[in-house]
Amino acid sequence: MRFTLLLFILYQILKRAAKKKRVYKNYIGTRQPVRIMIKTADGKRGRLFVFDQGKISSRGGSKHAYDAAIVWSDAKTAFKVMLSMSDEASFLAAAEGKMKLDGMVFFAQWFNDGVKLAI
Amino acid sequence: MALINGGHLVGKYLKEVEKVEIDFGISGGHIESILDGFTEYKIRTIDVRHEQAAAMMGHAWSVYTGKTGVCFVTAGPGFTNALTGIANAYLDNAPLVVLCGRHPLRDDLKGALQEMNQIDMVKPITKWSATCYDIRRIPEYLSIAFRQAQAGRPGPVFLELPPDILNIRVDETEAPMPAYMTRKYTVHPDDAELKAAAEIINDAKKPLFLGGTGVAFSACSDCLQQFVEKTGIPFQLLNYGRGELPDNHPLSIWEVGNVGLTIAIPRADVIIAAGLRFNWILQSGGIIPPETKVVRIDIDPHEIDRNHQADIGLVGDVASVLGQLVPLVEKRDHNQWLNTLKAAGRSFLDFELMMRETVTDPIHPIRMVAQIYKYLGDDAIYIADGGNTTYFGLTGFFSRHRAGVIGTSSGLLGCLGTGIPFAIAAKLARPDKKVLLLNGDGAFGFNSMEFDTMVRHHIPIVCVVNNDCAWGMIKHSQELSIGKDRLQCAELGMRNYEKMVEGLGGYGELVTKDEEIIPALERAFESGKPACINVVTDPKVTSPATPLLHQSLKME
Repeated sequence: MRFTLLLFILYQILKRAAKKKRVYKNYIGTRQPVRIMIKTADGKRGRLFVFDQGKISSRGGSKHAYDAAIVWSDAKTAFKVMLSMSDEASFLAAAEGKMKLDGMVFFAQWFNDGVKLAI
Repeated sequence: MALINGGHLVGKYLKEVEKVEIDFGISGGHIESILDGFTEYKIRTIDVRHEQAAAMMGHAWSVYTGKTGVCFVTAGPGFTNALTGIANAYLDNAPLVVLCGRHPLRDDLKGALQEMNQIDMVKPITKWSATCYDIRRIPEYLSIAFRQAQAGRPGPVFLELPPDILNIRVDETEAPMPAYMTRKYTVHPDDAELKAAAEIINDAKKPLFLGGTGVAFSACSDCLQQFVEKTGIPFQLLNYGRGELPDNHPLSIWEVGNVGLTIAIPRADVIIAAGLRFNWILQSGGIIPPETKVVRIDIDPHEIDRNHQADIGLVGDVASVLGQLVPLVEKRDHNQWLNTLKAAGRSFLDFELMMRETVTDPIHPIRMVAQIYKYLGDDAIYIADGGNTTYFGLTGFFSRHRAGVIGTSSGLLGCLGTGIPFAIAAKLARPDKKVLLLNGDGAFGFNSMEFDTMVRHHIPIVCVVNNDCAWGMIKHSQELSIGKDRLQCAELGMRNYEKMVEGLGGYGELVTKDEEIIPALERAFESGKPACINVVTDPKVTSPATPLLHQSLKME
């Protein structure tokens, strides 16, 4: 539940940053549609973020098509690592097999770098 | 009294002094006596179909043999055609001697055939360029050319030889052959710098060794092995340095490909970079955190602090410097750091690792590369040429041989079309090895007439075309920046490249199904001919290199 809420809050933050923060606005500015999914491996929780020429939309659920996905082993780990905003925590989660990337790795990295600008 | 003409002097010098076995070029009126010199002194000539391929083959010869490559081109268009290949060698620091014809000195300013100022054009893309005006000085000029190409940071040199000196004769005693300069001058870093570097390396908790082309041209396998195995430092060898130690060495992080590099660099506390420029691939040094300690080893002192202030700079040949460092560094075990890197890398590469095992229709290029590697294994020479194709090749092929996996178009010039010339040179240099070229369909177009060269000279390589019917990297980059509905100059359409190769006398097959890949490879290698397997792959697939290209050119 906390993970689902965190994803929803993240969407709100990104949506606001896309309107108010110039640096983030420029960052996502001209990008044609890119779909980023964040979900748990069991597919029970997830949220899709869609970036299209500077606009962000989002949909709850894990069953949507995506270009890249950040897949967490479980919601608890996902919540803890994402909230920490630490690259090192993400790296260690990956090393322990608790976080994997699906699809285009670059887009996941692009998304994460953008989040740092937005917050 | 024995008379010898200028062209024969060229042949004599190459054979007797430099022991040149092979050279690459195209015939031309201005250089006829040089061609006859090759015949006289039994130098094998590979006559190609476009001079850029000759320059690229000479460049590649230096990569695969460690010896300076030689190409010959005629004046005017022969010269201008070669420029792309010369520029590529220049940006890749490859030793290459370009012998070029020239309009007669006698006819200067008279509107002579192919009269042009070649020297001024080639100067910015060579280490050294000159015109020889005296037949008696041809051996001396050639000697200077070879020394310039090889000494210090290697690179291409250009020597212009006009008919006025090639087509006349002189007594041989008036043009003596200089002794081959066997002396190799090495530069040694300061002892205090070496000691300081060793202290940094000994204190490192998460070190990383990166080796580039300088590692290859110093042929430092033994020293490098001693260094990494004593220090236990994880490493990745890039560009022509790849294969100086096998990709499957336990300390190599190539099994997690380029991702290994991107996750290791920001986390390493010490980076030892040897013979490697911090160029755009490494975000001009921007990928290295400011707090990371950097030890740079380079033969060129100008490179030491370029794009990133080094904590320690060790100027010298990589083999020599590592040889001096080995006694100073202490035995260490960094397996925990290494295993963490590899494990994280595998998680980031989860999708690619899965695609290697997944049969799809249309064929996914990652799967195609995995099938090729399943068939050939690491006892082969791999070359990848293209945009996305280079990424798939560099990350999906592994070799135990020097320069065993090269992305020819991933150098600074980003020069598509280099794959075929490199594959030809690789097979000539290492005839006992299987040579597999993975070519994008766009890149294939630039030098594919060289299949005729392969047929005439019996050079059996196998070229697999990753055919996505487009300039894939450009197409997918445009999709990101411009939009799918406004693609421009991005599509190529389906073409039967295998039939073109068959028409030239080679072997060809079209592959559209996963299960056809390995049998087609078997037949291609068994044919003993230059072969093209045209594999139709999924046009929707792109590689991480595409968004990187897109991002690197974004200006807002």
